[in-house]
Amino acid sequence: MSKTLSTPSGDRLAESRTARIGWRVYVTVGSVLFALLCAFILTRYTTYRKVQEKFYGQALVPAKDAFDFHLIDQNGKLFQLSQLHGKLVLFSFGFTHCPNICPTTLSDLSKIYRALPEKDQGKMQVLFISVDPQRDRPEILKEYVPYFDASFVGLTGNSDQIAETAKAYGASYEIVHTPGEDPDVYFVNHSTYIYLINPDGKWQLIYNFDQLRDTEKIVADIERIHVVK
Amino acid sequence: MLKKFSPLLISLSLFATNGLGDELPIKIEGAWVQAVPRAAEATAAYMTVYNTGQKPIQLTGGSSPIATKIEPMVTTREIQNGHQVMGMETVTGLQIAPGETLVLKPGGNHLMIMNLTSHPKEGEQVKLTIHFDSGNETIDLEVPVYKRDPK
Repeated sequence: MSKTLSTPSGDRLAESRTARIGWRVYVTVGSVLFALLCAFILTRYTTYRKVQEKFYGQALVPAKDAFDFHLIDQNGKLFQLSQLHGKLVLFSFGFTHCPNICPTTLSDLSKIYRALPEKDQGKMQVLFISVDPQRDRPEILKEYVPYFDASFVGLTGNSDQIAETAKAYGASYEIVHTPGEDPDVYFVNHSTYIYLINPDGKWQLIYNFDQLRDTEKIVADIERIHVVK
Repeated sequence: MLKKFSPLLISLSLFATNGLGDELPIKIEGAWVQAVPRAAEATAAYMTVYNTGQKPIQLTGGSSPIATKIEPMVTTREIQNGHQVMGMETVTGLQIAPGETLVLKPGGNHLMIMNLTSHPKEGEQVKLTIHFDSGNETIDLEVPVYKRDPK
């Protein structure tokens, strides 16, 4: 080592070799870093574009923490929203004596569910929350809700729990009696939105009743939520 | 109000179908009934009704072997706290002006079929009689049952 260093010519040779190697290393490392940077920017940009693309549903910006309702499911068991953490949840409010809106909503939701690839079906849960807890006992819901799809779950509760849940999502409902009719015969006027809770437990989107018929657009929203995640 | 008279209407319709020979200036298309589970006590019928005549006509209700009461319903949409709330109201009739069309569809006006005595399944056909005006003008239909009408 010391011998080589003592030779002036060898010294210069070593120096220039180091310089040449150094130059190549810099170029190589530089290009690799540059390529990585480009790839990074591109991926971030694509994700950014996906996030920025408009959802078909009305987006809550930023997404809110979804109210963790505590209700009773169609099997009579306690049910809270947070037990579905990690799954995408779509739910609506309704009642089983509803002839028009509710069967239509549930049929539309079943079309959406069936249009999803199997892997995404497993990552999603549809819920139907009764705003008529007086008549919609768990056993009634058990016959009603899974009729539209075996995986769908009906929820009920006491009137305070239902009121609290509806309020948290900005939903309204009102019992309407027909004058002169049996008091047990009544309608329930109610909000007809569909709420989407993302797998992180955030309330991300809201659909109105008329949008629900556009199966492909809603399927695209659901798949995008899974991709961006 | 119609409710009280419905038994009368049903009996009158028997005479009407025997007919006075007058053909009603009405055309009905795309009629169907919503399939519902056994737990449901009500469902709805949807259709498009054309008044091809010169006089206004009222659709006042219907009858069917699957239920005891069929009434026209108007769907209401109102905004409460910035959110739309949908509801329904019983009406005695839905008016159709000459040359006009009445569309009964999911999320809109419909014929509510109440007190279901049987629950027809998707793919089955249901007998449905539609009542017009005083109720002695009727049209008999056989309509399919769907969970959701084909788009």
